[in-house]
Amino acid sequence: MSPSARKIVLPILAFALFLGLWEAISVSLDIPVYLLPSPSAIWAGGAKLGMTLLTNTAVTLKTILLGFALSCAVGIPLGVLVSVNRLTSEAIYPLIVFLNAIPIISIAPILVVIFGTDETTRLIIVTLTAFFPIMVATATGIMDTPHEMLDLSRVAGAAPVTEILTIRLPHAVPFIFGGLRIGVTVAVIGAVVAEFVNANRGLGFLVTSSTAQFAIPTAMACVVMLAVVSVILYESVNWIHRLLFSWSLRNDPGK
Amino acid sequence: MATVSQLKSARPSHSGKTQTLIELAHAGVTFQSRTGDALVAVEDFNLRIQDGEIVSLVGPSGCGKSTVLRMLAGLQQPTTGDIWIGGGRQRRGFSEVAIVFQRPTLLPWLSVLKNVLYPVRALRRTTAADRSRAQELLEVVGLGDMGARMPHELSGGMQQRASIARSLILDPKILLMDEPFGALDALTREDLQLDLLDIHASTGKTILLVTHSINEAVLLSDRVAVMSTRPGRLQELISIDIPTPRSHETPAHPAFHHYAGRIRDDIFGPNARSRA
Repeated sequence: MSPSARKIVLPILAFALFLGLWEAISVSLDIPVYLLPSPSAIWAGGAKLGMTLLTNTAVTLKTILLGFALSCAVGIPLGVLVSVNRLTSEAIYPLIVFLNAIPIISIAPILVVIFGTDETTRLIIVTLTAFFPIMVATATGIMDTPHEMLDLSRVAGAAPVTEILTIRLPHAVPFIFGGLRIGVTVAVIGAVVAEFVNANRGLGFLVTSSTAQFAIPTAMACVVMLAVVSVILYESVNWIHRLLFSWSLRNDPGK
Repeated sequence: MATVSQLKSARPSHSGKTQTLIELAHAGVTFQSRTGDALVAVEDFNLRIQDGEIVSLVGPSGCGKSTVLRMLAGLQQPTTGDIWIGGGRQRRGFSEVAIVFQRPTLLPWLSVLKNVLYPVRALRRTTAADRSRAQELLEVVGLGDMGARMPHELSGGMQQRASIARSLILDPKILLMDEPFGALDALTREDLQLDLLDIHASTGKTILLVTHSINEAVLLSDRVAVMSTRPGRLQELISIDIPTPRSHETPAHPAFHHYAGRIRDDIFGPNARSRA
């Protein structure tokens, strides 16, 4: 088998083996379904939801994507702002680190009181959880710009804004995508937390409502769906990176 | 030690061109270290460079030759003394003074052609005329069919050629080159040195070249400014009276080793040659 085929086949085999073992252990030890549902029970739980599972996935996905877009819209400019100038960096950075130290999960119920029980609140929770890694990655990339590139733009007479747009931001692209990869998975967590505290739809809501009725296989089916969404989003970020910024996948930047 | 009388006696070998384009008058740079000590990088540096000259700065590492270049590029303000370029102090953009670094410093996210255009882009939108000039310059440096490539697809020598094309895009009067061939292998280096002489012959640019290589300085320069270290000062200014155009046969010229030896003596002291 060629190494490239092996890279696809081996993980699938391992995964199948894992599911088979899990199924066998659940059945042979007769583990109660509310303690640990077998893979087939989870599948049945998901199938029982049918279209409901898909429509609720769509609801959660929309919250994730909008919140993630907001995180980028906030995180990237803020990352530029805190790194491009020493004064703004010294002034704003500690504040942002402090804000990030607040476990968003703990203030989620408070945010519901402040902003109400609608989508806005959920988007705020997602944004608050996901913007920080994006901001830090952007700031790191901006500050990593090689001195020679900055010398080039200075001798060329580039205005500060031009320098940011033509040198610093492009140089930061691979760093920003590192932040986006973390940000998008954190956005999934943020959306679930938001739905835990405030929703009547979505996968997070389904998990809490199913658990309340001891429908553990149904809840687990939602969890599996969340994992699938998370992986697809992560790979989408990678795909966009490769598609639009293939130059930055080389590991000799600045040469 | 550089004295004013020495500077006055030094005449450029170029005849007919006597317009001073660059002047450093008592220029000095003192860095403040973190502990508060003053570190004198360059002290009382006096040099006049005429229009169309090639002048090399040589000296041991740490002698401040790059600092002199950075002052002229506007990357370092002199803490003492004055600098004039073309009679003025203000300059902005590669149209006045362009720089070539030791590393090509091409932007990896831009095609080779767009890298050549970068000094234009730094100031304004590029036009079709800019693009055709960039293409012409790529042809001048032998990269006519490489414009659409990305920098990483080029060898080190080709990248440095592209960066030389970039330095010429806005037709500057002055080219500042900071050890431009220092990172290249010996053959590529020789190739690019002669190409630089060709470019100089056809464009008449004024070139200030920082180099580690004594042979390179003698081969390329009308005058060589030898610097001493700690503090960085101009030690001697030597006119290289070897006929132009120079070629790969120039090192065989009888005067070549005389000049190279003189520079070596300046740097290492007169007794150093007997050691070799």
